[in-house]
Amino acid sequence: MSDIPRISRRSLFRGVGSATLVAGCAAKTPTPAPAPGLDPAAPPLAGTALGPGPAPLRFTLNGAPQTLEAAPSTTLLELLRHQLDATGSKLVCDRGACGACTVLVDGAPQPSCMTLAHDVEGRGVTTVEGLATNNQLSPLQRAFIEHDALQCGYCSSGMLMSCQALLNRRGATDAAAVEHAIAGNLCRCGTYPNVVAAVLSVAKGGA
Amino acid sequence: MADGTRKLKVGFADQLRDIEVALPAGEPQPWDATTKLDVVGKPHPRIEAAAKVTGAARYTHDQRPAGLVHAAVLRCPHPCAVLDALDLEPARGAPGVLAVLAVAKPGDRLLFAGQDVAALAATTPQQAHAALARIAVRYSPQPFVVDTTAAMQPDAPLVHRAQVRERSTEGDEPGTPTGSSQRGNLRMSPSQKKGDVDKGLRQAKVTHEATYSTQAHTHSALETHSIVLRWDSPTSLTAWCSTQGIFSVRDELAEVFGLKPQDVHVITDYMGGGFGAKFGASAPGSRLGFIAGELARQARAPVALLLDRREEHLCTGNRPDSIQQVTLGAAADGSLTAIKVLAHGSGGIGTGAGVGRNAFAIYTKCPNIRVESHDVFTHAGPATAFRAPGHPQGAFAIELALDELAVKLGKDPLELRLAHNEHPVRRHQFELGRKQFDWDNKRKRVADERQRNTRLRHGVGVAASIWGDFGRGKAVVASLSVGRDGSIELRNGLQDIGGGITTVVAQVVAEVLRRPLADIRVRIGTSELGPSVGSGGSNTTSSVTPAVRAAAEAVLQQLRELAGKQLAARRPEDVLWDSKGARVGGKSIAFVDLCKHIAGEAIVATGTRPDTYGAYPSRFMGGNSVAIAGVQFAEVELDTWTGLVRATHVLALHDCGRVMNPLTCRSQITGGIILGTSYALSEQRVMDKRHGVMLNPNLDSYKIAGARDVPAIDVVFTEVHTGANNTGAIGIGEPATIPTAAAIACAVFSAIGTPVRSLPLTPDRVLAALGAIPTAAPARG
Repeated sequence: MSDIPRISRRSLFRGVGSATLVAGCAAKTPTPAPAPGLDPAAPPLAGTALGPGPAPLRFTLNGAPQTLEAAPSTTLLELLRHQLDATGSKLVCDRGACGACTVLVDGAPQPSCMTLAHDVEGRGVTTVEGLATNNQLSPLQRAFIEHDALQCGYCSSGMLMSCQALLNRRGATDAAAVEHAIAGNLCRCGTYPNVVAAVLSVAKGGA
Repeated sequence: MADGTRKLKVGFADQLRDIEVALPAGEPQPWDATTKLDVVGKPHPRIEAAAKVTGAARYTHDQRPAGLVHAAVLRCPHPCAVLDALDLEPARGAPGVLAVLAVAKPGDRLLFAGQDVAALAATTPQQAHAALARIAVRYSPQPFVVDTTAAMQPDAPLVHRAQVRERSTEGDEPGTPTGSSQRGNLRMSPSQKKGDVDKGLRQAKVTHEATYSTQAHTHSALETHSIVLRWDSPTSLTAWCSTQGIFSVRDELAEVFGLKPQDVHVITDYMGGGFGAKFGASAPGSRLGFIAGELARQARAPVALLLDRREEHLCTGNRPDSIQQVTLGAAADGSLTAIKVLAHGSGGIGTGAGVGRNAFAIYTKCPNIRVESHDVFTHAGPATAFRAPGHPQGAFAIELALDELAVKLGKDPLELRLAHNEHPVRRHQFELGRKQFDWDNKRKRVADERQRNTRLRHGVGVAASIWGDFGRGKAVVASLSVGRDGSIELRNGLQDIGGGITTVVAQVVAEVLRRPLADIRVRIGTSELGPSVGSGGSNTTSSVTPAVRAAAEAVLQQLRELAGKQLAARRPEDVLWDSKGARVGGKSIAFVDLCKHIAGEAIVATGTRPDTYGAYPSRFMGGNSVAIAGVQFAEVELDTWTGLVRATHVLALHDCGRVMNPLTCRSQITGGIILGTSYALSEQRVMDKRHGVMLNPNLDSYKIAGARDVPAIDVVFTEVHTGANNTGAIGIGEPATIPTAAAIACAVFSAIGTPVRSLPLTPDRVLAALGAIPTAAPARG
């Protein structure tokens, strides 16, 4: 684990305080009391301040150690797609509503568009590119193909990661559990029933 | 071989018959009801799927040509405004900015919130978006109207000051009436009519009249409209584009930049969803191709112009809303004497707010029918073709109206439909569905719950679809090569938008050459690979597979001739061809060994497809294409306390000609039903009438169905041999989504006994129908 305080887009907004955000929009709003994190008199946050320029970042991507620099405002998805050319994870809604950018951070599914790159400092990130090993498709990937759990394929990367996380925690007990796990993954082609069938087939196969 | 007639066995189920069709020279003997196939018609997983499940598939958004820079577009924030001043200079100096471009000029009247104003390109996407804020722009806001009913009033702010020309794409339904007159914000279109509807209404003993409305619906493909454009020389370029029509992109870019079409190279290896809005290099409401090309020229670098989700909702097309006044008349015995529909709908600043063929061409035993549909202009982004343009909204109104009439007549809604539908396949589907869905018993349970006034209710409904086989002749030239090393490669400038055509064409080649599917390499996705069709109008499979088969048969003929020489056959017919290779009498040669004797590198043959030559059993609107039939039964569960509706089951019976690949065909039908369910229950574009902007241009408050919102789906193929083309394929993408929302709305009516006449069927509307809350004003946008 890193000793840098973890910041996400959500927690950043929370820290700044919604009143401050609103105040920024309406000039006549009375100035609210400064949010705790912004009070100049308050003690500084623990750890090293980052930015505004690129700052060093280390994490593991699909098992390979990464050492690079990224601006603190960079999201994990931007880092993956633009700096590391790992374009499997897709940018679709850019606000955590569709699941197309889902990756696993230390095994837990997260929307990478809502995760700051520096939040994965010292952690392990798995993307769709990391599901196959030695060019062998994983059981879940094979099941997606066999059950035709994809059409255009644009949701598939995120869908696979949510499903893999469910399988990893041995939670694919029935269709409802799979549907719950992919409730945050939107598919416009309408592959959901086949995704459910694919995941259940893997769960039954004990993979 | 000269032109000639050939006998075909056509039909469906046990209704088979012989017909004669005229075939041009060289056309292979069509596959018909007597043909036994080994690869085509069997389920095969997608051959390109591994790239999609590993993240290796590179979509337009994933393209990174060397030196790529990023574009952003400044969009008008007002629903209507005159552009007073535009100064790009401050943005030119912003960090990373490499090119700036004015798209609108001072004095221009901008007509919707989201319209192009200016654009720029910068080294990073963040720099591009930051620099937009530096553009100095001043607008004079003008009066506007975004509400369809309000726009129809004589004193409504005028959207267009001049006549509007219809823009149509390959996504539109062929043969839709054209020619129109314009008055105020109304653009009148010719009606579909037969008989005398006024007389029919006078004759009626029972009538039903009501107004039905549907919402504007955005395509919301997951991959937004996007183009990555690189100039390769001053007169040639390469464009990666998320498109349903590679050649439509090529032609637009050639025209916009004055290039030869062959100097425009378009690539769509993979594309993240297309439902009718992705034709041409631009989006319906944004000049993406022009912007990307100009910026790339100025920046002297490839430019990526990838719309964000908000832009995708605002300016890339939508399904228009509708307000449909439906009047039905029936004689005392329940036979329909008149169907009259007067529909108005708004495609924003665009046209195309029709209501399809459902009211006109399904219940054809009614002698008097008139369907009028008119465009109403509003200050919103332009509509464009969306999976069966017009049909889902038309189906919703006519089917729910029929159910309301059936109640007045004391008739079973299914009986009323059967009594007026003349399409033999659809009749077969109604009957088959009635049994398989257990319609009669389910209706009893529904009536019982309604009578007992239970909190939780079930409801059942049935609705029909109509579409045509729009497979295009002479549009596709497929090329097949068999190399000296035994490699087999099919090439065509076709795009796979997710329907699974890549696998289907491989199946056709495997079938003809009797080679394993895994040995067939399919190269598609660029304009360099030969002419092909756009994927719209459900025409891909029926346009492409016959051309592929023709190419494969031509290659096979050459291979047989080669084998004849090698095995010293006396006559070409003596060569027997099977999965091992060729045989003549007791002598044989394996496929790979035979290929070694190919002179030169490869045998290459091309194939094309003649015009549609058969249309059995029923023609679409008098033309030469087959009328495609489909029927869906839906069951819903409705909570009378919360007003929440869940679609629990859909049984879909569809005609899709020869089913080429049941696995992918089933997926496409399932997808159509899920889209229809989403349209029925949750999706709606919400416009703020006071500010004229869309309130939910995102994917959290624009609600598309998730995994837990979809019904259990059963798909039944009613395979029909139509004699349309040499493979017998016809389309399914569109028919599958037409009747879903209608069937669900009918099911809700049966559950509560009161119709909900506005889509989507949200809890507030259900509660209002139940009398639990006051009736809400219909929210249209």
